[in-house]
Amino acid sequence: MNAPKLLSDRPVFVVGIGLHRYQRRSDATYVSLGLTAVREALVDAGLEWTDVEAAYTGTALLGMGASRIMLSRLGATGIPMTQVENASASGSSAIAQACLEVASGRSDVVVALGVDKPRGGLGAAPGEAGINNLEGGSVVPFTHFALLASEYMNLHEVSDEQVAKVAVKNHRNGSQNPFAQRQKVRTLEEILTEPISGSLTRLQCCPVGEGAAAVIIASEDGINRLQIDRSRAMQVVASATKTEGLYGEGVGIDAALTAETGAAAFEEASLGPSDLDVLEVHDAFAIEELLYAEALGLCQPGEAASRIESGDFDIGGSCAFSPSGGLLAMGHPIGPTGVGQVAEVVRQLRGEAGTRQQSDARVGMAHMVGIGAVCVVHILRKP
Amino acid sequence: MTTEPRHPHLLKMTDPPTIVGHRCVTCERVAFPPDPYGCEKCGSPASTFEQWDLEARGSVQAVATVHRHHRSTPVTPFTVGVIGLVGGPVVKAIVEGDSVVVGSTVEGFLTPGEQDDDGNVIVDLHFRVVQ
Ligand SMILES: [Zn+2]
Repeated sequence: MNAPKLLSDRPVFVVGIGLHRYQRRSDATYVSLGLTAVREALVDAGLEWTDVEAAYTGTALLGMGASRIMLSRLGATGIPMTQVENASASGSSAIAQACLEVASGRSDVVVALGVDKPRGGLGAAPGEAGINNLEGGSVVPFTHFALLASEYMNLHEVSDEQVAKVAVKNHRNGSQNPFAQRQKVRTLEEILTEPISGSLTRLQCCPVGEGAAAVIIASEDGINRLQIDRSRAMQVVASATKTEGLYGEGVGIDAALTAETGAAAFEEASLGPSDLDVLEVHDAFAIEELLYAEALGLCQPGEAASRIESGDFDIGGSCAFSPSGGLLAMGHPIGPTGVGQVAEVVRQLRGEAGTRQQSDARVGMAHMVGIGAVCVVHILRKP
Repeated sequence: MTTEPRHPHLLKMTDPPTIVGHRCVTCERVAFPPDPYGCEKCGSPASTFEQWDLEARGSVQAVATVHRHHRSTPVTPFTVGVIGLVGGPVVKAIVEGDSVVVGSTVEGFLTPGEQDDDGNVIVDLHFRVVQ
């Protein structure tokens, strides 16, 4: 079957963005976090809540039925609301569903938000599948990525310090972002203290806190009818989702899955890696930025560490990687993370990113992976 | 009171110990851990699998020493390796000793660990470098 090219037949745009700062767990309810983000997105778009025809809420930790108790406080308009859970990519998948709904013609204006509060443990279903392993619980996510780091550093003769420079860069970017959980510039020496697992240190692992992010997706018809500012509307030109295939023994699944999903997104957008000016990447652990830079084709295998060191992936380089600070500094509150990435890409494409602006940014990508494993990639373009 | 592997369907207490995987009769894929549901390659149900013994011996592909852990056992620091078994599948397991590096040849050995509430001794498979 030939899939209809929905996003090119009926273009969709992000017309509003809003966030609640990512932060350590506080007394704030998820309702207040989520409402802050949605209200800001409505103001940003110049829309009223009554203009919104559907809502998708990306959340993995809140439990069932999160949307209505929150969004009805903007007015109980009775619109369809759906929770979307896709592990760390929950918010990304909420955006994918919102884009699909607008592209299909069912709605002209849809909100996608992400909101979560950590509750201790992730409650991941694969752990309940009844499939045991030899390591008896000794390999938690950070050790999974420490092992990937070991394999990568050995294969490409990359040092601990070179990997840690990813975190130096992303903490520097995060220090410029008022929505980031970590807003401190860190030296290489600071990054390298407090070992967690393998070469990974505390500041090379993302903080999982709370927060919220919202984007408003609209069609051309919606933009025209509601007189939305066209100059600040950024087009979503690709929305790709894939799950882990069966790769060869020993092949890093995370990089292989990212390579497949990125390729699908580039094909849908008729764009390539060299077109990207901004890339918000799933850097939950510092090593991931190197793996995914290569998997997405932004550089050759083994080249990412030297490209980071050269400043090529800094703001002002050929492609700014995680100008928001990424998961490492902006934070990873799970549900909001993928939505916050798209909000950052939109801010960059609009030229509204202030001191962390990548000059003349025209094309940006948001990339998330999640336990399962899933990968979701969006590409946005300045029309 | 008994002395048994933590997960008896994964490990036989032979000398040397044997890792238990499965082989899909339909597509011949050998996998670890043995799956109770079906084949990720061809979709055949697990009822068509045969048990497949794997030698507890292989080559270290990656290694990480864990400094922080959310449980009291294993006691930190401990070292985890990604081990490509000679029989094909890749496993993650604790590797003992200071000399392990990527490329080391390692062999499995049984190590009695914690006791459960009834006093039964739980046995794990750890690896060590073959000198
Ligand atoms: Zn099979």
